[in-house]
Amino acid sequence: MSNYQSNSIDIAALEPIQAKSKRARKWRLLTKPYIYLAPSLILLWIWMYYPTLSTFVLAFQNWGMVPGTAPTPVGLDNFVRLLSSKDFGISIINTLFYTVGLLPFSIVIPLFLAVATHKMEGKMKNVYRAMFFIPLILAPVSVGAIWRWLFHPTNGLVNDLLLQFGLIDSNIAFFSDPVFAKWLILLITGWKMIGFGTILFSAALTGISKDYYEAISLEGANRFQQFRDLTLPLLSPMIFLVLMMSLLFSSQWTFAYIDILTQGGPFGTSTNIYYEMYKYGFSNMDVGLSAAAALLFFVVFGIIAFVLNNITKKYAFYDN
Amino acid sequence: MRQRKLSISTILQHTLLILLSLIAIFPLYWMIISSLKNEADIFNSSIIPWNATFSNYVYAFQEMPILRMMLNSFVMATLLTAFQLITSILTSYALVRWQVKGSTFIYLLISLSWLIPMQVIMIPNYVLVNQMGLNETLLGIVIPLSVSTFAILSLYQSFRSFPKALIDSARLDGEKDFFILVKVILPNLKSTIASLGILLFINGWNEYLWPMLITTEMENAPIQIGLRSFVNSDVNMWGSLMAATTISCLPILVIYFILRKHIIESFVRYGIK
Repeated sequence: MSNYQSNSIDIAALEPIQAKSKRARKWRLLTKPYIYLAPSLILLWIWMYYPTLSTFVLAFQNWGMVPGTAPTPVGLDNFVRLLSSKDFGISIINTLFYTVGLLPFSIVIPLFLAVATHKMEGKMKNVYRAMFFIPLILAPVSVGAIWRWLFHPTNGLVNDLLLQFGLIDSNIAFFSDPVFAKWLILLITGWKMIGFGTILFSAALTGISKDYYEAISLEGANRFQQFRDLTLPLLSPMIFLVLMMSLLFSSQWTFAYIDILTQGGPFGTSTNIYYEMYKYGFSNMDVGLSAAAALLFFVVFGIIAFVLNNITKKYAFYDN
Repeated sequence: MRQRKLSISTILQHTLLILLSLIAIFPLYWMIISSLKNEADIFNSSIIPWNATFSNYVYAFQEMPILRMMLNSFVMATLLTAFQLITSILTSYALVRWQVKGSTFIYLLISLSWLIPMQVIMIPNYVLVNQMGLNETLLGIVIPLSVSTFAILSLYQSFRSFPKALIDSARLDGEKDFFILVKVILPNLKSTIASLGILLFINGWNEYLWPMLITTEMENAPIQIGLRSFVNSDVNMWGSLMAATTISCLPILVIYFILRKHIIESFVRYGIK
């Protein structure tokens, strides 16, 4: 690529020099790329990088977001308050719970679905894949509303069926129950995200040559051996990618369902770190606390991303 | 013997797949069914709405400015798609076309912004939008989201694999740089850009946290935000809530059924954020 680019600049130099001086032309050639880059870079700076830095500064200040008031510096006070608060502890444990709990839905089940549908001929393959895909494109709010109705404490379908089959004696208020609430948020987010891995793994599988499978089955490998010795290594770059996205984004994926189904309750048992940041900032108007949590987690997620990136480079198997 | 074993495992596989597909789409089915049930049937678990009625829809339209909010969502998603496409096209072109000084750094800066979640930047951005007087407006929602890292990263890949010979020959013909982008590159990447556009539109339509902070009045809000306050209002009007939910899903489902192949392909090409 860089080779080509130096070429193109040579070609530019060959162009006949017009009225403008050589220096002006060179200046234009130097600045032109930045004119094209400017919109993105300026917007990224204003709406992504600058606010990130502001948040880091706010982490050491106290502010109630009241117009006309200014943030006051408080040193490490926000971090002390944060780390000694019980809610924050719960939210970290839950963040881990959701992050690990989502892995079967983002990797294990999608691997099965992708491999199972891969070898099918004709229409059924696409019908299956199309159905797994539907939850993924629906809006989190809509999905949340539907599940809230399905698990409604008095009139929901799930309670109705459980009662009819005699599995429970009285209705369960699922989203007001500390254990059910957490698990349901995990299951609903998982249900939503199954299509994500499935489609990406299916795509990666399509790229694997059929010859490999013929060769390995000639050697007498059964289906499981084929999967273990051929499919899995060849899919490894994609598996690492999905793993990284799942670890980094799972807290954002669960956010909407926490907000719509439980608002973090009952008693903060289903909240996660991002939802706490939102609550600190926009319910408690405690900007410093929210910013401190953001800074802390930004560092943690940054480390995770860095480590995973290096592991991927080391262990993923690339078929060239 | 082997043949027989295989067919049992095939049957098992299909059973599992069918079960999982049913789980995937049943909630959607239940949403539509519930929206059509009348007040007497809404609380029973019959999976067919024997006395189908549209009264829930009528009530939903009376309760909320649904048309207005759908229009808001449509305008918001369209503007987001347009802005994100424009910024990502210009960026990808610049990175591929010229040997920009510090291009590795710029690329790193762009990719790293992917890791910044909205929850980290929402407070400063919220304050800034308020200072600009753009709260309660669609522009206040759209402008901060008008660069999509995901869009840049995916388009950059497509631009990189664009045949250099075509650009070079246009250059030798003395074409202007902008002309090369618009008349040489874009027409050839039409389907790629269309696919990306569909994904961006769906993402925009489903956008939730940021619009929720910027708009509080129903009249100014996209449909997702209206739906959220309907869910949280604790009225026991599940029929009409499901009607409103169905309406909010309708555009996405229509796009999906018309362009299903296209969407899955573009997803395969890009992934989704």
